[in-house]
Amino acid sequence: MKPRRRRRWARLAKRVASHVILIGACAFALFPIYFIVVTSLSTLPIAGITAHVLVPSPSTITTASYGTVLYHLSPNFLTLLTNSLIFSGSSAAIGLALAAFTGFALSKFNFPGRRTFVYFILLISLFPGVLLVIPFYFMFSSLGLIDTYLGLIIPYSAGAVVFSGILVKNYMDSIPDDIEEAALVDGLSRTQAFFRVLIPLCYPVLGLAAFLAFIGPYTDFALAHVFITSNNLWTLALGIYNINSTDQGAQNYGLVTAFAVVMSLPIVVFYMVFQRYIIGGLTLGAVRG
Amino acid sequence: MTGITLQNISKRFKTETAVDDVSLAIQDGEFVVILGASGSGKSTILRIIAGLEVQTSGHVYIGDMLVDDYEPRDRNLAMVFQSYALYPHLSAYENIAFGLRVRRVPREDDPERLRRFSRDEIDTKVRSAGQMLGIGGMLEKRPAELSGGQRQRVALARAIVRDPEAFLLDEPLSNLDAKIRSNARIELKRLHARLRQTFVFVTHDQTEAMTLGDRLAILNHGRLLQCDSPDRVLSHPANQYVASFVGSPEMVFLEGNVEPAGTGYTFVKEPVRIPVRGVPRMGPVTVGVRPWDVRVERSSSPSAVPARVTGVERLGSSDQLFLELGAPSSPTVAPTLPPLPVRAVVRSYDFNVGDGVFVSFDADRALFFDAEGARLDSMSVATRLL
Repeated sequence: MKPRRRRRWARLAKRVASHVILIGACAFALFPIYFIVVTSLSTLPIAGITAHVLVPSPSTITTASYGTVLYHLSPNFLTLLTNSLIFSGSSAAIGLALAAFTGFALSKFNFPGRRTFVYFILLISLFPGVLLVIPFYFMFSSLGLIDTYLGLIIPYSAGAVVFSGILVKNYMDSIPDDIEEAALVDGLSRTQAFFRVLIPLCYPVLGLAAFLAFIGPYTDFALAHVFITSNNLWTLALGIYNINSTDQGAQNYGLVTAFAVVMSLPIVVFYMVFQRYIIGGLTLGAVRG
Repeated sequence: MTGITLQNISKRFKTETAVDDVSLAIQDGEFVVILGASGSGKSTILRIIAGLEVQTSGHVYIGDMLVDDYEPRDRNLAMVFQSYALYPHLSAYENIAFGLRVRRVPREDDPERLRRFSRDEIDTKVRSAGQMLGIGGMLEKRPAELSGGQRQRVALARAIVRDPEAFLLDEPLSNLDAKIRSNARIELKRLHARLRQTFVFVTHDQTEAMTLGDRLAILNHGRLLQCDSPDRVLSHPANQYVASFVGSPEMVFLEGNVEPAGTGYTFVKEPVRIPVRGVPRMGPVTVGVRPWDVRVERSSSPSAVPARVTGVERLGSSDQLFLELGAPSSPTVAPTLPPLPVRAVVRSYDFNVGDGVFVSFDADRALFFDAEGARLDSMSVATRLL
């Protein structure tokens, strides 16, 4: 009886400990978000960490900051959002398409220099993107692409291809060649097999790649700040920076945090849409076992 | 319904030769098993027929058509992979229908123009193939939800439904449990009898090969050693490799010499003597005897050699005995020769470890091989002597 009881206690202790640790980690990760949401709903022009802010009561909650963000900014919020969605959406779409082809070529075709090429891509991705801002500026200004949509979409999608291409390649490596070959014997061309068999099998990784390719441009400040000068091309990231630098918002944390909350909504929606693809395990059961 | 002809097929990868000058004519409706150990090039041959691999030299014909330059999809063959290679994202139904959905066939009213199969045609074909293989009730399931045996049936159904020129099967039974496997073997044989189409089946399992094949093509190091009916392969193996590879338990080999004895010749490997018929070759020779052609008795007879049972393997319907020939009848007598190990297959539970027995060989069924492993039959031996 005794050892058994001891084992039960040990198991219980383990569970309690792991829950405590996980709850702690969650609190640590979620607190900033909570803080931002609470601050955006407070009336204080200058937020301090006071019980008043952290534990809001119905009497102190106000949505005034949201009203200002949505209706009284210049350029207005809708313009910023539209621009951000144009930049992020098209970069994600282009980057994803290229990444799918890159991954396919690197995974399923045997050509000289393939390994070298993969290492080269990995090496490139080690460089921080900010380093490229200045050379990019010279390149794109000589092409007349500064302060245009295309001028940002090109480097954004290129950035997406570098990382996502490798991601897709690694995933495709895990899909047995048999499955593609079965499709070829079944009467498909290599192109058809790619679109009808490999791409559907890659949905999980493509979902993840799309998400990353979307978030990058959506949150980018460095490149956009240098490349975009006209107000009407501003993105959300430039907009939030601008609030901070105006009189109106200089120290109005309510305004900045309300902006941040609204800005994060499309990402949450995007994630929820693609989450079902990010659930992996689709290739299970294709082979023995 | 078409035969397949391989003409001097060779395939070299960077440094190694996977297939070495193989020629093979597979008849229309024949069930040919390509049998070989792993690395013998058997799967490569199948992949060359399918068009997934391109031969370094030689030609492949499907029917009368030279298909060397044909893509896999234009060869109209069906293949069942060892891993089944089902499309994991599609239901069993869609897996089976997949090939039909992309395929185009000539129109009835205007054979010059192509059309796709209609939804109803596809449905009829898929359901009848599913019915034939007994998976009609699980067509809506994904491969991950199916057992190994069911997946294998889906893979077969996917092949059947296309009505191909021939079926290529790459070790399709090797991932099944032993119990299902023998059943699957019988069903596959029945399926062939029913479809009367050309089957090319690759395996390393000689039992599978013996039970399934109309003919066996035995491969070693990329070379085709023999292509014959299972009976012929068993009774007239082309060489020592085939003799040892086919037949279970494995053939017993004795290396010795052929010497003149009286009016004839005798194979001698002390203490064994086997009379040789016909005109043999003098000198070193290997004799092969199937273990079931080794006679084991309790009492002595003129040509029998005393032996001791050192091990018994219960095979079920029979026992395999491990024997030491020339072992002294009592442990106290010093042996004059190192004991000669042989094996014999006998009725179950007739002998036990430690029994003293007498062993003789069926001279009519013994096979002779030269030092290179080539089989010596009386004809070839005679010509060699001339």
